[in-house]
Amino acid sequence: MPMFKLDGVDIPFEPGETLISAAAKKGIEIPHYCWHPGLSAPANCRMCLVEILPKPGMRPLMLDVLELDSKTGEYKPAQKPKLVPACQFPAAEGLEVKADTSPHVVQARKAVQESLLLNHPVDCPICDQSGECKLQDYWLEHGKFSKRLRDEPVHKPKAVVFGPTMVYDAERCVLCTRCIRVMGEIAKDPVLGMRERGNLNEISVAPGRQLDGHYTLMTEHVCPVGALTSQDFRFKARVWFLRTASSVCQGCATGCNAHLDYDPRYNKAFRYRPRENHAVNKYWMCDEGMLSYRQAHEGRITEARVNGKTSTVPAALEAAAKLFEGGARASIAVVFSAQHSLEDNWALAELANTFGTTLRFWSGKGDGDQDAILRHADKNPNTAGVRGLVPEAKPLSALLEAVQSGTVHHVLALGGMTAEAIIPAGIKLITVAAHDGSLAQAATVLLPATSWAEQSGTYVTAKGVRQVSEKALEPLGASRPAWEQLAALGKALGVEVSWTKLRAIRSQLTASLSEQAPLAS
Amino acid sequence: MKRTFPKHYPTSINAVVVSRAERDLPVQSYIPEVVRGVGVSMKHFFINLRDMLQQNRPDPVTERLDPGISTISYPEQKRPYPDRFRGLHRLTTRADGSPRCVACFCCSTACPAQCIFIEAGEYADGDKRRGYEKYPVKFVIDELRCIFCGFCVEACPCDAIRMDTGMHAVPYDSRDQFIYPKDTLLKFTDRAGKTQTENPRHEPGDASHPGVNREHPHY
Repeated sequence: MPMFKLDGVDIPFEPGETLISAAAKKGIEIPHYCWHPGLSAPANCRMCLVEILPKPGMRPLMLDVLELDSKTGEYKPAQKPKLVPACQFPAAEGLEVKADTSPHVVQARKAVQESLLLNHPVDCPICDQSGECKLQDYWLEHGKFSKRLRDEPVHKPKAVVFGPTMVYDAERCVLCTRCIRVMGEIAKDPVLGMRERGNLNEISVAPGRQLDGHYTLMTEHVCPVGALTSQDFRFKARVWFLRTASSVCQGCATGCNAHLDYDPRYNKAFRYRPRENHAVNKYWMCDEGMLSYRQAHEGRITEARVNGKTSTVPAALEAAAKLFEGGARASIAVVFSAQHSLEDNWALAELANTFGTTLRFWSGKGDGDQDAILRHADKNPNTAGVRGLVPEAKPLSALLEAVQSGTVHHVLALGGMTAEAIIPAGIKLITVAAHDGSLAQAATVLLPATSWAEQSGTYVTAKGVRQVSEKALEPLGASRPAWEQLAALGKALGVEVSWTKLRAIRSQLTASLSEQAPLAS
Repeated sequence: MKRTFPKHYPTSINAVVVSRAERDLPVQSYIPEVVRGVGVSMKHFFINLRDMLQQNRPDPVTERLDPGISTISYPEQKRPYPDRFRGLHRLTTRADGSPRCVACFCCSTACPAQCIFIEAGEYADGDKRRGYEKYPVKFVIDELRCIFCGFCVEACPCDAIRMDTGMHAVPYDSRDQFIYPKDTLLKFTDRAGKTQTENPRHEPGDASHPGVNREHPHY
């Protein structure tokens, strides 16, 4: 691989790659606002300026400038090298680049910072970006100056509502155009643009439009400062109180990688941020996915229910044992869930094996919208996983027919949400579910399971990528991981269960998965 | 310099050797000691009585270091607190009576006792401060947890929380009474009886602030 030198460090690059992106891959950050690895590089923020040393024997390109002599207070002619933006300059073999070690670069960064902060309102106390703001970070890193402007700064529109999800603050904006590019290049909906010039320059929405669509929250995600804030997260929390877990979005079968930010003090999830994964979602997520963190709290089942009445888990287990007392174990129908993790479904499959039943079905949310970017029509996070784990499972509609014809009386189901709205009355149904839905509503005995946010679980995307989502929150209410509830249920029903720990499930799961043929996409 | 701890106990240079009383009959009967103790009390009683009658009793509030009585009739009489005494918190107000606090959570971040709870909210539609600012929907201080360090006051970027009320937490009969909500904190005043502060501030929405919308650009 060809190499160039940045501050004396050898950095490999692929032909055509820019300096900043090659350095970023090596783990060296050249400060920047407008550059984003997933977007084009307009080089308009000038923060990533670096000095390129001339080839040996060549004359450097120098610019004539006037420099203030602080002793005499007069300007005197001087020379400085022409700096280039690292986000646009292609790397070349043997190139020698100076960034942190060049006094000219250090001076340029400080000057850029000062220019960007000239009319900044410094309203960090009420700014949601505060704590993860590039202006704050770079001010500390590259220029701890105090403000020299003694006049009232130029005021620009604040709190402009751009659409149902976004609020724009022109005073805080550094005009890096990342939001414009993300709408144009990623969402393919160039609805944002720039208006005015100089001091009054600001981002605006195309006339007659508002910032809507399915990727609007990505504008907030790429905004390096607090100019764009999401209506959803606005004023809800300060970022320094939040902890982060590496999660997997449950919104659809794409399985976008996400950071789930939660406040451990209140055991509450606050937002998703996309997590970089080039095999799945690159740097992006859709709006529905970004807001699906709410599923950790909305529509949850946190208490056990017996015949629709809230109960304790031990009482519910007792009721479950009584409910299944009469029938033969082998006649119990089992419903797997594409909404639950592989571990949960594996535990159910094990339980079904001990029962000796062959009546296996699977359920999941119905199909929804899709597009060519990220959104998948299948709105379940683990359809491929369940189909791979129990290929013989039939759709839930087949079970409902069997129930109506009177051949099946006992059903053990995982997951509450189904595409089918109505479950026929009169069946003896035990459901282990995290979220409310028709299977949870129809259940005679309902056991509360944790959502994906409260347990570590494996999910398989539509493309067959197996991904692990980390635990973030503590279980809400009486809920426990579904595999744990299924183990307790197995004991209550008088069968022996082989798993007590997640690690044990994982090792057996890996063994059983490797036996299978590779998953079809 | 490297600090070393003494290996032995200090010698008796500063110690006063007290001779222990022997356990004989006068000591064990307690009577002489009781009489002596009552004698001390009576001595002070008569001195106080004399001072009271002659009206030359030193003011214990201001002259407490002088010889004489150091007891005061609290709470009718109170010792003066120093000017910078950190008392109960108060939330300062703007001219229109709204809290200056913008719910930035700086105080609750700085608080080592974690006694400040804030819930931020946005001004309602139609409010002149709508969109520009947050305000605290809830602002609760647990005065039992508070250690009165004053970090919250130092952290506040808006001069919205102060500890200049000159009051200290009075004893209550249950713990929840020490949990002061926003309304209580807003009602507290400084020692001069004001709810505002001397520090001026102009914010979006105030008449003193230049326009910040597209209709009235500031050229």
